[in-house]
Amino acid sequence: MATAIAASAFLSSAFSGGRPQPRQRRAARPAPRRAAAGGLSVRCEQSEKQKRQPLSALVPREQRFMFEGDELCGPDIWNTTWYPKAADHVTTEKTWYVVDATDKILGRLASTIAVHIRGKNEATYTPSVDMGAFVVVVNAEKVAVSGKKRSQKLYRRHSGRPGGMKVETFDQLQKRIPERIIEHAVRGMLPKGRLGRRLFTHLKVYKGAEHPHEAQKPVPLPIRDKRIQKTD
Amino acid sequence: MEKVEEKEIGFLKMNKGKIFKLAKGFRGRAKNCIRIARERVEKALQYSYRDRRNKKRDMRSLWIEQINAGTRLHGVNYGNFMHGLTKENIQLNRKVLSELSMHEPYSFKALVDVSRSAFPGNRPAVKKEGLAAIL
Repeated sequence: MATAIAASAFLSSAFSGGRPQPRQRRAARPAPRRAAAGGLSVRCEQSEKQKRQPLSALVPREQRFMFEGDELCGPDIWNTTWYPKAADHVTTEKTWYVVDATDKILGRLASTIAVHIRGKNEATYTPSVDMGAFVVVVNAEKVAVSGKKRSQKLYRRHSGRPGGMKVETFDQLQKRIPERIIEHAVRGMLPKGRLGRRLFTHLKVYKGAEHPHEAQKPVPLPIRDKRIQKTD
Repeated sequence: MEKVEEKEIGFLKMNKGKIFKLAKGFRGRAKNCIRIARERVEKALQYSYRDRRNKKRDMRSLWIEQINAGTRLHGVNYGNFMHGLTKENIQLNRKVLSELSMHEPYSFKALVDVSRSAFPGNRPAVKKEGLAAIL
């Protein structure tokens, strides 16, 4: 009981402290979108197009009767389901991440990448919309697997004709086309369908340590898995 | 049951206009030819009946996914977060929690801190100074 009241008092103080006027947006954003992974920012007011101030801030009190509803107070986020608008997932404003695949366990790496590409690490996750980020993988030929998978893991493909099954081991494929290993792993973890195919195009894998995306200023991918680095 | 079925079949037999109205936007012949449209409209109505109930389930699971993502940004996962909230008797539902995590990040962080503090292991040990430390 006491803790609930204390908690509600805490919450109401958090509400009243941060809000000078009802439904007024915050004046300054704490951190730019890309820089801090843990930086808090009010999501629905991110993009430029949505930054129009609600009229209640501009219109003097006597004239407010001339406006009503949405245009006066801004969109109602509490009584309608939020769905991302086009301005919420502009491709040019997405975050870019870069990962070095040297000595990382293949599956664990692919899982983290897929989560970031899908957008499941953000609170505004929507399954029908591409809300994820871009991921660049470098040093793809140095990715590691545990156990005897290097010589025993098989990659199969079929040409469609009878007897057209082609089988390759991990080793052979790594010598031939190393990028395909990571692409195959991540593709299996992304949704299959139109949206999944588009998400797959947000993955960029490269063989050496160089990648041509310096202009996008990719940030190091935050990895929370402790067993992703191959130790022995 | 038979009466209802007859009524339903009657409805679908007699109102071509109504069927074509419901078949707007369907693919191919299903929007133009009555025999095909009737089947597809019947199926569409069945799906909409079923999905009115599924929608509630789907929305809840989406809220849970969003809350999970929001709490993991603060280092807590969904299960422990909800456990902490129920311990503190905070009865906010998942819809509101997901909206808070999207639109009110500071309030949501406060909630995560409340939930974290509900577990006795998380409270920082009080430092005793002077005589109390010796005692």
